[in-house]
Amino acid sequence: MEYRVKFSVNGEPIELLVPANRTLLSVLREDLALTGTKEGCGAGECGACTVIMDGKPVNACLILAPELNGKRIETVEGLADGDRLSPLQESFIEHMALQCGFCTPGMLMSAEALLRENPHPSREDIACAMSGNLCRCTGYKKIVEAIEAVAAKGVYEK
Amino acid sequence: MRDFQYLLPQTLEEAVAFKKEHGASAVFMAGATDVVVRMRDNLMTPDYVIDLKAIPGLDEITFSVQDGLRIGALATMNEIAANEAVRANYPTLAKAAGSVGSKQVRNRATCIGNIVNASPLADTATPLYCYDAVVEIAGPGGRRQVPIRDFIRFVRKVDLQDGELVTGIRVPVQKAEGRFYKIARRSQVDLSTVCGTVLKTPEGWRIAMGSVAPTPLRLDKTEALLAGRALDEALINEAAALAATEVSPIDDVRADRQYRLDMVSYIVRDALGKLA
Repeated sequence: MEYRVKFSVNGEPIELLVPANRTLLSVLREDLALTGTKEGCGAGECGACTVIMDGKPVNACLILAPELNGKRIETVEGLADGDRLSPLQESFIEHMALQCGFCTPGMLMSAEALLRENPHPSREDIACAMSGNLCRCTGYKKIVEAIEAVAAKGVYEK
Repeated sequence: MRDFQYLLPQTLEEAVAFKKEHGASAVFMAGATDVVVRMRDNLMTPDYVIDLKAIPGLDEITFSVQDGLRIGALATMNEIAANEAVRANYPTLAKAAGSVGSKQVRNRATCIGNIVNASPLADTATPLYCYDAVVEIAGPGGRRQVPIRDFIRFVRKVDLQDGELVTGIRVPVQKAEGRFYKIARRSQVDLSTVCGTVLKTPEGWRIAMGSVAPTPLRLDKTEALLAGRALDEALINEAAALAATEVSPIDDVRADRQYRLDMVSYIVRDALGKLA
């Protein structure tokens, strides 16, 4: 059986017919060709599929497609303004806060959600907010530094 | 993931009717963090998934000094951990809710789901056991309430009849100081090797442990040993040793039995020392 869902992704309205046994992650990647969101574990442990749903970071692999009706989804593709990367993305590049890059979209979305909620997080706040995102390359130090640096610039202040 | 029908009841009555109609082939879903993983791994293959999230009012967390705390079935772990009344009056519960999974998981996972899943190591269970929480159930026969220690029967077995669901958990007012312990390899995104809560109340000590038996446990004998007595080092050591005799842990991938026994004694010793 298929379910009609209306939701938005990065501000774009979407209307789809989806079966119950698909996840938000597979809808994003396979139906909408938004392959920035990655599948790591598929079980809510690695955070590679982190997106922002109604303002909160969630694992896209743990959301059933029919649940999407009425939801507002933001993915890594929505961070840049056209060709202009967001300050957070620029900070990740500046601090070389990535190696293979697989975890990066999820890291960016968790960091984005944190900074919107708390524009000046402590190192402990950052560690807590990012602990659901695994990176097997950089060891996290540069990721934390990239987040601290963009916070210090005050771009997330309301 | 096997295909299934997704049902989205708009009222409690409709949810109960769906479950009554489909019985064991239907599963209730709240935060989905456990249900989706179990379906993905084919540990659960329901024909119907009944999503409770459209039912109004089930997400509420309310507190009053007369009635205590009530956590609705859809309240998420992050909402509980951040709630001012929970933090002020039931700090061990706030800490336990904040220790589950990751920030992303806690934005979806619910405390009621944690209890209904009835894992022996459910992090929110031990504070709720210590506070003598009461599980509120709705079903075809009406509503009933069951103390949490009677509600959880065995590993993944709870006191729910056909068509029944848990609408919330009520936590009585309790003046208490306490400590929540989660012993795991890392501080986030891990399951407890042992978890426990120790409360010091005007009526006496309350101690509950998780991941050391088929269900979370209150340590009645240890509480009785401590009742009305002033703590000294000998009594604390006696309590720590007795606590380890009240649990029946197993060896598994996270730790062996002896480690868990030692951790139960450690939690009792540490908490009594700090709260004395």
